[in-house]
Amino acid sequence: MSNSTRKIKLTLSESHGKNWLNELSLNIKSINSDSIHLNCKGLKLTCKDIKYIKSLFLKEKINLLSIESTNAESIVSASALGIQTFLKLKEEADNYAEESATISEREQIKSKIFFHQGTLRSGEILEVDHDVLILGDVNPGAIVIAGGNVKIWGRLLGIAHAGKDGDSHAKITALQLRPVQLRISDKIARGPSEKPDEGFAEEAKIEKGIIVIKPARTN
Amino acid sequence: MKSVTSDTRVILICSGKGGVGKTTLTANLGISLASKGSPTAVLDADFGLRNLDLLLGLENRIVYTAQEVLEEKCRLDQALVKHKQEPNLSLLPAGNPRMLEWLKPEDMKRIVEMLSNEFEYVLIDCPAGVEDGFKNAVAASKEAIIVTNPEISAVRDADRVIGLLNSNGVKPIQLVLNRVRPKMMESQEMLSIEDVTDILALPLLGLVLEDEQVIVSTNRGEPLTLIGSQSPAARCYSNIASRLQGEEIPLIDPSKEGSGLRDKLRRLMQTKIF
Repeated sequence: MSNSTRKIKLTLSESHGKNWLNELSLNIKSINSDSIHLNCKGLKLTCKDIKYIKSLFLKEKINLLSIESTNAESIVSASALGIQTFLKLKEEADNYAEESATISEREQIKSKIFFHQGTLRSGEILEVDHDVLILGDVNPGAIVIAGGNVKIWGRLLGIAHAGKDGDSHAKITALQLRPVQLRISDKIARGPSEKPDEGFAEEAKIEKGIIVIKPARTN
Repeated sequence: MKSVTSDTRVILICSGKGGVGKTTLTANLGISLASKGSPTAVLDADFGLRNLDLLLGLENRIVYTAQEVLEEKCRLDQALVKHKQEPNLSLLPAGNPRMLEWLKPEDMKRIVEMLSNEFEYVLIDCPAGVEDGFKNAVAASKEAIIVTNPEISAVRDADRVIGLLNSNGVKPIQLVLNRVRPKMMESQEMLSIEDVTDILALPLLGLVLEDEQVIVSTNRGEPLTLIGSQSPAARCYSNIASRLQGEEIPLIDPSKEGSGLRDKLRRLMQTKIF
């Protein structure tokens, strides 16, 4: 069946560094399909990694259809390259795979960041106790509230509240920061009236007691 | 309750905000689809403020309503009002406003299921707002058309409704941008098509140009598409119906609308000199 799409899975754990590359190049020859859904589990892949994987597949004339992962960063990287992505929640993934992480480790990963895929539309409110990463836009009329940082892989056009429990170091980051209102800890600011330059991610944080917007730094 | 298994297309026409043209679109789309040969039912789900019957000019022919059908006081075919000039189109009128007190999503599903057995298209005219009436209508629908105007409040409400439809598993959802004024869009006094689709992120099923003839036809109870009008809005409605049936018709370009010689002549003929 040359037209069939099959799923292959990368089952290497994160600690083995770039070992997944070897496994992939070994497995790639045995794929007799012209398109593929890739499951990367908890593997943390950068844009560079995914580009490389894509080129490997292309060499074999295989079309990379989608990427499935439990790792938020892999999902973001893949989305940035325009590949369809599916985020699997950790618990969900555990049902069909043995994870090497201990329970306490897993708890840690879970509590660090909350991941939301999809656009928040008018009237929708997303409230989490920790950091939140949104893959999609926050439309006017929608509200994101987080105990920690708010990161938006998309446009922020609604209201965002970071550090709701008083964390004044919390930041709000978005690819396009055009909010109605920004709130960090107990500070409130109106969104900028002029449109920001497109194509530069920006972040808002508290400096000297007021909320300022600056180009986002990579760290 | 078993789900509808036939391949009838049950389409909810909704907007969130009132007065953007849900009912007008339902009436015109119903007539268009029917005149293209598809047996079509239009269901007025706006029990509180019903007026789909007015727009279709069928008010005086209503005997039974959805209410009597549900109470099993009459058969479905007794309640359906067939349009005289367009026999492929039937209207199931809304009952009296007090129905809202007891109507459940299951009742709506039952009605739609009955209609699905006999029609190819079931268009549901959804009430404005996102309260019970809306929820009932959503429960019975498979796909949806969102109607919005190029103004900020209508777009905001549409966005809210899309979120609710998404969480209810209604798809596909398509967009109709109503009351487009090419001149105002050109001078950027009105939200542009891109502004709207940018926020709502939905496929555009069609544009409907602002047209005074719509008001005239509404007051007469004769949908524009019924009388074979060639007015701008009528053409838009008929294009939307064709696209719904799977034909590929390019979207009109608002910036070119009304500048051609034919349009100018038509406008001249419609202008009352005396």
